[in-house]
Amino acid sequence: MSSRRYAGPLRGVVFFALLASLPSFNLAHWVLNILVFTLMYAVMSSSWNLVGGFAGYPSLGHAAFFGIGAYAMALWFQHHAIHSGYEPFLLLPLVGLLAAAIGLPVAVIAMRTRSDVFAIVTITLLFVTQTLAFNLRGLTNGAQGLSIAAPPFSAGTFERPFYYTLIVLLALAMGITFGVMRSKLGLSLAAVRADEDKARGIGVRVLGVKLLSFSVSVGLTAMVGGIWAYYEGFIYPQFAVDPLVTIAIVLMTFLGGRATLWGPVLGAFILETGQQTLAYSLGGSQFYLIAYAMVFLLVMLLMPRGIVPSIQDRLRQRRRRIEVDAGAPRPSSPRMTRSSDTRSSVPALKGHG
Amino acid sequence: MAALLEVQNLVKTFGTVRAVDSASLVVEPNTITALIGPNGSGKTTLFNLITGYLPPDSGRVSFRGRDITGSDAGSLYRRGLSRTFQQARVFPALTVQENLTVAAGYSWGQLFGRRLSRSDRERVGELLEEFRLGHVADLFASELSYGQRKLLEFAAVLMSSPSLIMLDEPTAGVNPVMIETMEHHIRQRHAAGITFLIVEHDMTFVMRLCNPVIVLDQGREIFAGAPAEVQNNPLVLDAYLGS
Repeated sequence: MSSRRYAGPLRGVVFFALLASLPSFNLAHWVLNILVFTLMYAVMSSSWNLVGGFAGYPSLGHAAFFGIGAYAMALWFQHHAIHSGYEPFLLLPLVGLLAAAIGLPVAVIAMRTRSDVFAIVTITLLFVTQTLAFNLRGLTNGAQGLSIAAPPFSAGTFERPFYYTLIVLLALAMGITFGVMRSKLGLSLAAVRADEDKARGIGVRVLGVKLLSFSVSVGLTAMVGGIWAYYEGFIYPQFAVDPLVTIAIVLMTFLGGRATLWGPVLGAFILETGQQTLAYSLGGSQFYLIAYAMVFLLVMLLMPRGIVPSIQDRLRQRRRRIEVDAGAPRPSSPRMTRSSDTRSSVPALKGHG
Repeated sequence: MAALLEVQNLVKTFGTVRAVDSASLVVEPNTITALIGPNGSGKTTLFNLITGYLPPDSGRVSFRGRDITGSDAGSLYRRGLSRTFQQARVFPALTVQENLTVAAGYSWGQLFGRRLSRSDRERVGELLEEFRLGHVADLFASELSYGQRKLLEFAAVLMSSPSLIMLDEPTAGVNPVMIETMEHHIRQRHAAGITFLIVEHDMTFVMRLCNPVIVLDQGREIFAGAPAEVQNNPLVLDAYLGS
């Protein structure tokens, strides 16, 4: 028991230490570039998971908030000079708050619908946002896009500030996820996901937890959009508000496993690095898309609930078999048994407190 | 003593069907009141109207002397009016302990507390002992038998310390032993001061447990009285057997 107790936090520490040390291995720029994009998607999948995974509301509109973050960042620096290269990073929390504030009324309206209807309502929001980005020329400069002054970082270590900022953001997103899973907020969201009407009838703060998860989720997504705009230096409506971004983060979360801590991160690392590597190795043709689809199909056929939940199930069954073989009675004292987190997260996450 | 629950001229139509047609009834405190009637007589719709799951077209519902017509189901639950469903609605992917914990009607601040705190475990532990579900405390609700799920749903609504519990067919689809268990728990909680309003088709269960009995037909009350009188009432016989 005690060895498992520390495995969760240990896994987190090792993962982030490894991530943070990667740039010191003198990796090539294209590798770091892939890592920057992978981290962006890891943060966005983790954020999407709060709504699409835990609350069970499959939003297809998250790319709209990615775009809002990107435009918020670009527009701010149209009107203000950049005094230091790090200034845009300091602005990120404000970008997040702005998107969360916009997300609140959106959620009040959209979350009156559920499942497939909710998906359609939110994807509509995405296209409305894209159309606005194209047509509000006075504000967004339309199809010609907006530019942000290039960061004054030295060419040799150009990616690092973005990379480290994204690591912080990933730690934040995963920290929030962990907190949700360990609190009554997660319990309430699980009830909403399973049977929302029943949940309402037993006093669960249904509307409140839904709005909270949506707001936090889109706030984090917008912060990634802000980093992306600064990293690219130039944004166009079709890339800033891109349905493919939405689809990617949904696929990554499904692949890794919804409503788990590590699932979305794992999904992002597999799909984004896989896609980029295939694109590099297969050249400019679109063949990489086929290979990408094959990977996805295979995993979905073999593990329809996603990688992490499938592995958890297998481990759980094996533990039970061992218990039965040993003739051990099923644990009945509440205090010494597997806690709820065991199932909904990586097994080792349980109880560090 | 004033009525605990009072329904006055409640109406609900679905298209052209008057599912509940100007229904009025009274539930006195500390009773186990039965609500019976042929299929389609509007019992479940009436439950949904009273507990805030459906808005009535017109009429009035008052609970503990206060008008609660059209109130939200969650706030009614917190004020002591809880219900169960015909199909035993529990959360299959949550453990038995979690199913109970989530039903405690938490305040905003408590949402950020631990998923299962020590005091939760203690409180849940007492209930589990009472309902003899201790040995399955850490199983998922999906792993329980149907009867156990019904017990769990019943136990869960007790987490809010209700004053009135409305049970929708508590014995439907469960084995005879479980029916006795259910009856035992209802009696025990009734003795502790909880009022029950029970929709039920099992007449022997109703006759030995409930008093008074309210009969609903075509969306309105046609009889209310002691169980012994129900069986001889011509209106009731008409409703069940056709005139």
